[in-house]
Amino acid sequence: MPVVLAHKWTFASALALALAGLVINVQVPNLLRGAIDNAIVTHRAQLATYLWWIGGLALATMVTGYLGRTLLFRTAYEIEYDLRNIIYQHLTRLSFPFYDRVQTGQLISRANSDIRSVQMYLAFAPFGLIQCAIGVVAFGYMLAINVPLAVVAMIPMPLVLLTARRTQRSLFPVSWLIQARLAEVATVVDENVNGVRVVKSFAAESRQLSALERAATRLRWAYVKDTDLRARWTPAVQNLPRAGLAIVLLLGGYLAINGQLGIGAIVAFSSYLMMMQAPFQMIGMLLMLGQRAAASAERLYEVLDEQPEIVDAPDAVPLAVSSGDVEFRSVRFGYADGEDVLTDFSLRLHGGETVALVGRTGSGKSTAARLLPRFYDVRGGSVHIDGDDVRSVTLESLRDAVGIVLDEPFLFSVSIRDNIAYGRPDADITDIERAARLAGAHEFVLHLPNGYDTVVGERGYTLSGGQRQRIAIARALLVNPPVLVLDDATSAIDVRTEQEIHAGLRTLLRNRTTLIIAHRLSTISLADRVVVLDEGRIVAEGTHGELLATSPLYTEILAKAEEPPQDGTPEGQRPVAGSSR
Amino acid sequence: MTWPAGGGPFAAGRAGTAGLPFAGIPSELQAGVDKLLATEPDHPEPTARFQHARPDPDGARLNLWRLVVRYWPMVLLAGVLVVVETLTLQAAPLLTQIAIDEGISHRQVFVLVGVALVYLISVLVTGLASGARTKVTGRIAAWVMNDLRVRVFTQLQRLSLDFFTEEKAGVIMTRMTSDVENLQQLLQDGLVQFAIQGLTMVVVTVILFAYDVQLALLTVALVVPVLTVLSLWFRSASSRGYTRVRDSIAAVLADLSESLQGVRVVTAHNRQRHNTSRHRAVTGAYFDANVYTGHINAVYGPSTQVVSLVGQLVLLAVGASMVAAGRLSVGELVAFLLYLGAFFQPIQQLVQLYNTYQQGQASVGKLRRLLATEPSVLEAPDAADLPPVHGLIRFAGVSFGYDPHHPVLHGIDLEIAAGETVAFVGPTGAGKSTIAKLVTRFYDPTEGTVLLDGHDLRAVSIESLRRQLGVVPQEPFLFSGTLRDNIRFARPEAGDDAVWEALRAVGLVDVVERMPAGLDTVVQERGQSLSSGERQLVALARAFLAHPRVLVLDEATSNLDLRSETKVEAALDALLESRTALLIAHRLSTAMKADRIVVVDVGRVVEVGTHTELVAAGGLYGQMYRTWTSQAGQSNADPPTPSAP
Repeated sequence: MPVVLAHKWTFASALALALAGLVINVQVPNLLRGAIDNAIVTHRAQLATYLWWIGGLALATMVTGYLGRTLLFRTAYEIEYDLRNIIYQHLTRLSFPFYDRVQTGQLISRANSDIRSVQMYLAFAPFGLIQCAIGVVAFGYMLAINVPLAVVAMIPMPLVLLTARRTQRSLFPVSWLIQARLAEVATVVDENVNGVRVVKSFAAESRQLSALERAATRLRWAYVKDTDLRARWTPAVQNLPRAGLAIVLLLGGYLAINGQLGIGAIVAFSSYLMMMQAPFQMIGMLLMLGQRAAASAERLYEVLDEQPEIVDAPDAVPLAVSSGDVEFRSVRFGYADGEDVLTDFSLRLHGGETVALVGRTGSGKSTAARLLPRFYDVRGGSVHIDGDDVRSVTLESLRDAVGIVLDEPFLFSVSIRDNIAYGRPDADITDIERAARLAGAHEFVLHLPNGYDTVVGERGYTLSGGQRQRIAIARALLVNPPVLVLDDATSAIDVRTEQEIHAGLRTLLRNRTTLIIAHRLSTISLADRVVVLDEGRIVAEGTHGELLATSPLYTEILAKAEEPPQDGTPEGQRPVAGSSR
Repeated sequence: MTWPAGGGPFAAGRAGTAGLPFAGIPSELQAGVDKLLATEPDHPEPTARFQHARPDPDGARLNLWRLVVRYWPMVLLAGVLVVVETLTLQAAPLLTQIAIDEGISHRQVFVLVGVALVYLISVLVTGLASGARTKVTGRIAAWVMNDLRVRVFTQLQRLSLDFFTEEKAGVIMTRMTSDVENLQQLLQDGLVQFAIQGLTMVVVTVILFAYDVQLALLTVALVVPVLTVLSLWFRSASSRGYTRVRDSIAAVLADLSESLQGVRVVTAHNRQRHNTSRHRAVTGAYFDANVYTGHINAVYGPSTQVVSLVGQLVLLAVGASMVAAGRLSVGELVAFLLYLGAFFQPIQQLVQLYNTYQQGQASVGKLRRLLATEPSVLEAPDAADLPPVHGLIRFAGVSFGYDPHHPVLHGIDLEIAAGETVAFVGPTGAGKSTIAKLVTRFYDPTEGTVLLDGHDLRAVSIESLRRQLGVVPQEPFLFSGTLRDNIRFARPEAGDDAVWEALRAVGLVDVVERMPAGLDTVVQERGQSLSSGERQLVALARAFLAHPRVLVLDEATSNLDLRSETKVEAALDALLESRTALLIAHRLSTAMKADRIVVVDVGRVVEVGTHTELVAAGGLYGQMYRTWTSQAGQSNADPPTPSAP
């Protein structure tokens, strides 16, 4: 991975340092052996020499250990940091068609857990490798002390390796089962919490409890199964290496009696055997983490390989809006591989004109609106602003010029002020308040506990639907775009407020090209011209009065859409204004 | 869906994603999982019974000990096994000493054979004890976790609606997922490791003193204070560090998920670059927190190694002179050296475990607070079952506020006759929905009483009351599962005939017949596979099947297509027949169909009457009606004809 390569030097030096530290550690038992054999049992050498050596090693351990670990952790975290940012940047660059296709939840979990498992492997693998290196060095020392004893003492080790791998294999399925069953429990809880009104109003608490208990029992069984498998394998992995010590005591002792080996050597051997325990146990873990990290990396690549479909043309120029003429020329469009939603859709909006697009649900109104800021590219025909094909100008300049208020107003969990200033983060408070006033939001914002500094909850759900729509309108108005698209932007706002907003909009729309998508007459009445859309093409157009006379479809649509709801408070959610939280 | 974070850096993502990364078992593991599942027995039917009036026995005093003490025989067994394991684990240095002093020094090969044999046996015993211990503690953990899940969930069922509106759904989810799961590791292995490592330190200390008091005192005096200071520092620094890591990863996740959920707005407003740099800042804080904890670990790990080396150094220096003076055998010195190593091992582990322990304790604290929360709508201890009612509802001087200082309803007096359909209209925030919530007893009035057939709602059992009510919320909520189960949600014992009857009543029969799986059609998460109109109809069918005496309907505002809307209206007519109905009307056209209309404004009933009466009276309703008809008049379309009341 290039991300890893970018850090190869720090990574390499970290590895080198950590390795040095551990080689020093391997030296210690050998020194102890020397001290016991040469300075205590016999007196061939000065004890002080050994003591100085050990002291020196202690110091070296401290330095290399600290530096090695610091660097190693740092590199692993730097890689995670880079990965997270690369993925984030990539995700924000991807286009609407991609987001229509994937589930946001899955994306989030990919971006999170997969990065995490790659990072875990990167943080752990070096340690694992170093441990293995220690194993090799330690074995070398053992060989240097006594070849036959070293070989015999290693007998249990391959067994450890085998058992460790067997353990991973048998524990892997059960850990997946546990995860799946944890998810079962979570689903019951999630539905219970989100559907709490239904549960309570139908007095279904005991049945919900039974459902939970059933899921919990299944989970418990999986945990017990996991325990039993662990109980079978883990003690073997942990205790097999220690069996080697019995051999050392027996054979080493025998050799010591015959004078072929010093007592210190037995001490050194038992220390070395303990040191080798970790690497052999770790190899299995390392392999498992490696497998998981590889799978995660593959999934991350999948995301990174996803190319944004809507990009600037190589010779794209910034869009300069003069009159604000908008034209759809024989546009044909459909989502993904689906059927055409728009077929031969042609519409021209003169600069400063306000046009209402009317039609039944699914007639393609919103779709047409989304082609204007180039959220999608057309299948045939073209979309022009002031004569420029939207595909020939830079996306940034295009989207600055086209303001769009989507039907589902999404707010971020920041302050109201920051939400309104989302498209112009540098806007000052007077501009923000002016936009809010025009959108009919100023008054209710002032009644919030902290006014414009009130932080709205997740997705803005502490506000009512109508309140959210008003903030979204203010957000678009603040940018002051020459072309404005209102996609059913006032559907959840009550009559009185909508009229106030319309008064503000009328002045604003005067020299602005505006496309309004609406169901309600009150909204349609803002438009200079009304266009009726059915099955992907324009079937009628004219002024409101003309259409009433000529288009039965128009009359039918209006009759159904007669009246706005009185409020847009979602069920069970009360407006923040009335409560003090 | 919300993405809460909590429960440590590793658990943070998992809790919220509710198993998403594990949504499917990878194909290469499927065989292994199938083999496992083949051994799964049938589980007994659930035994937990739910009663509103039975609070959690001692939720306010929840702690780890109280959770496990129910299984005291198993706990006792685990304790015995821990002692055996710890003791046999420390046999090696002692046996080495015997091998050196008795075997090698006295040239006795049979002693070596004996020592090796005894050692092998000790290894075997350790292994067996630790295997048995794993089985026991794993079972304790599994059972305790099961108890806890059921207990916490039961408490969630008891809590009133205000709890669910005030707490984010994500936070409540976290209690049942990561907070409970945090205890798993602790109970399964953490606590027992605490015991083993702690006991090891005691045993080793005793052995050291048994060998030689002077030498033991010297090393202990030298090593223990340094280690204690070091460990105390590490403990506080690392818990600070982990809090930072936890908080910053939560921020990273929140930023990520919000950016993805709002990706359309981000794109529309050209915020990609700005947001990327903000994400960089958030991940930067996470990086810093990680580097901080990494730094602490990098200081602590090598430091303990140095302390251990210095300990060995001193031991060698002093020990050598003692051996020279004949006060200590070489074997004893070796054993001493080995035991010193054994003394250090537990410390590092204990400190690591402390983090797990702290996380667990934090979770226990949160669960304790949850279990101790009193539902705001309490069932009276002497609550009687509500007999079958006719459906006469009376509000007598009812005042209410979600927050007592901000009343939403003021002195409501209102009587709704049995079988009558009453529509509530009024501007946003007037209190229409609140009135309905008092009838279902989602809330209790702060003043006055709500009576159903003359029974004060607070005097009857909650379940018997709600069994006679039906509620259709604005946003129909469907549970994952089959269509059948969704429709017979209120009466799971209902047969297919009754389900079809309900479907017929709401006009869904043809839709269901067209589905390949019919009633067995699995409704996708939150009902996304049905159109919004069909979901609304399913919610109506659900209410129809419940045969409620009193019906509360929150009119949907979602833009239904023409056909669904006609169907929903027809279904409503079927549903309202011969029932008392409270209709929270968002459209005047709906309100006009009611027998009577109640106009609510600023928490008061300002007008009551039939449509014609109210229009004639020319009050608030008349005004609303005029606004509407004038708009409709603009279009020259006929204003909808009010159905004759």
